[in-house]
Amino acid sequence: MASLLPHLLAVLVALLPGTIGAARAEPLVVIVNPASGVEKLSREEAVNIFMGRYRKLPSGILAFPIDIGSQSPERQQFYRLLVRKDLPEIDAYWARLVFSGQTSPPLQAPDGATAVQLVASNRSAIAYVDRALVDARVKVVIDFGRAAKP
Amino acid sequence: MRALFPGSIVARTTVAIIALALLVGLVFGSAAAVLIQRGEKERLGARLGELLSTVETTARIACFVQDTALAREIGTGLMNNHVVAGVRIVSDKAPLYEQRRSEAPKAADETIAISRKLTSPFNERETVGEIWLYASAAEIQAQAWTYTRFILLVLALEVALVAAAVAWVVFNLITRPIKGISDELHRMETRTGLRLHVPQGNQQDEIGRLVGDVNALIAELTGLIDTERRLRIEREQSERRLALIFEKVDAGIFEVDATGRLRSWNPAFARTLGTPAQPPDLHALLPQQEEPLNELIRQSLDSGELREADLQLKDAAGGPDKWIEISLTPVDQDMLQGVINDITGRKRTEMAAQHLATRDTLTGLLNRRGFDQALSAARARRLRDPGLEIALLLIDLDFFKQVNDRHGHEAGDTVLRRVAAVLEQAVRRTDHVGRFGGDEFAIVLIGVDEPARAGQIAEAIIAALREPIPIGEDLQAQIGASIGITFAGGDSDSSAAMLRRADEAMYAAKQAGRSQARLAPAPEPG
Repeated sequence: MASLLPHLLAVLVALLPGTIGAARAEPLVVIVNPASGVEKLSREEAVNIFMGRYRKLPSGILAFPIDIGSQSPERQQFYRLLVRKDLPEIDAYWARLVFSGQTSPPLQAPDGATAVQLVASNRSAIAYVDRALVDARVKVVIDFGRAAKP
Repeated sequence: MRALFPGSIVARTTVAIIALALLVGLVFGSAAAVLIQRGEKERLGARLGELLSTVETTARIACFVQDTALAREIGTGLMNNHVVAGVRIVSDKAPLYEQRRSEAPKAADETIAISRKLTSPFNERETVGEIWLYASAAEIQAQAWTYTRFILLVLALEVALVAAAVAWVVFNLITRPIKGISDELHRMETRTGLRLHVPQGNQQDEIGRLVGDVNALIAELTGLIDTERRLRIEREQSERRLALIFEKVDAGIFEVDATGRLRSWNPAFARTLGTPAQPPDLHALLPQQEEPLNELIRQSLDSGELREADLQLKDAAGGPDKWIEISLTPVDQDMLQGVINDITGRKRTEMAAQHLATRDTLTGLLNRRGFDQALSAARARRLRDPGLEIALLLIDLDFFKQVNDRHGHEAGDTVLRRVAAVLEQAVRRTDHVGRFGGDEFAIVLIGVDEPARAGQIAEAIIAALREPIPIGEDLQAQIGASIGITFAGGDSDSSAAMLRRADEAMYAAKQAGRSQARLAPAPEPG
């Protein structure tokens, strides 16, 4: 039964309207550097960090969020899961904040592997990647496949 | 207002309408201003709400990330709207933006403030801040005034148009017809046949009726004037006739006031009494008749009726007396109309007849009838005045028959005339002497002081008649007289009784030897 759930989720995600490709079978996870001092992250905390509200991680160190590409399926899926918004909305949101110059959007990594690499080498970094890319260098603080509900 | 335009109904009406319209406009304008101000406040509130909706999404983001720069951007953008007097953006942690225009709201109720809670862009349930918008009271006022001014302008325009329209209507429907009638009436002279014309279109209304009534009035008036003119002509003719009568009539006609002053008189008056002097006074024309004239005037005025009298006028030149008959009729309280007639001729005829009836033709003394009247009158006076003594003397001539027989009737008549003269000389003018016929004479003495006086007169007469009386060349007649005397008694006495007593006394005197007087015994009293 435990192995059935991810499959069911994938089917559900595939059925959702939007551009989520059927190829995206792996659920997303949010990862941090093991030295960041963060063990677990709530969804609200993730929203605050990725949407620029908080500049720090719950442990007190500076937060450094990372996006994967600008139109990548991961990014699309992540924001849909996190705040139920499509990418144009997210981009419009950032456009206003960038204009003011005070708050910056997350840094963009070209792909998931690079993101894992960045998190592994920077204790402030925080990113979302395919679960399949997770290794020992990083720590999963939110597992959308398990904890997050659509 | 009547003082402002005394001559123009149109001007007055127009001013009245404008004043009324202005009043109404002012009331409606004031009401409109209040309503507009209220409406403007609501409109402004709605506008602020819309503005808020426009920036809400960005404001939520600004509050979410507490981006003061973004908040300032929103705020300054809002402040660019001149209706916005102030903006305040507060996140749940700290104020992000606050700005007010220099003019601070004077009172809380003068300002509209709307606020809205701002939720998280990612969670509708989470409040992340609040935004306030303030509206400018001055701006509301200014806006309201703009609208009010516009409405007042429209109202004023309407008032002006309505006033002009009413003035035009009043002028055309009322004033012009009335002015036409008025001008026509003003030029009109009171000649027969003239009529006012009913203005076109007013035949059936009040103006038409007015003209009809005025025409009727004019017709009546001209009729009255004609009648009056005819009557005046008739009156003038009648006056000319009367004046002719007044001028030509034989009777003297005059007007005189209560003091005797003459007002007018006709030629006959002047012919009768002479032309009046200046000032014309009736008294001057009636010498020695002042008392009777004044009495006549008084009686006529008192009674209010015609009074007449015969007045004897002495002729100043010594000619015969003149008699006039004057009659007065009061015209009013102070004025009388009079008519005089010269009645001298009639009077003379009357007096001649009277003379004939009461005088003895031979001697000119009273005859029996005249003497009886005189005696009765004397007795009547005594009845009114008992102190007045009246004596009756009855005289009989002695030897007269012999004179007559011897010398003829001519001589007898001469003797009788002589006796008459003697008797008249023996008494006063107020006494009466009469001849009873034949040789019998009688005298009434009025106001005899004492009884002896009658005796003295009798003796004087006897003495005078004892003298011879010439009756021709070298001829003389010798006669004498016997006299009986009596005095009038009381109420029961009578002329007949007196004559009888005197006769008896006279007879006694004859018996006693002639040429003497005898007093009759006093009558029985009662």
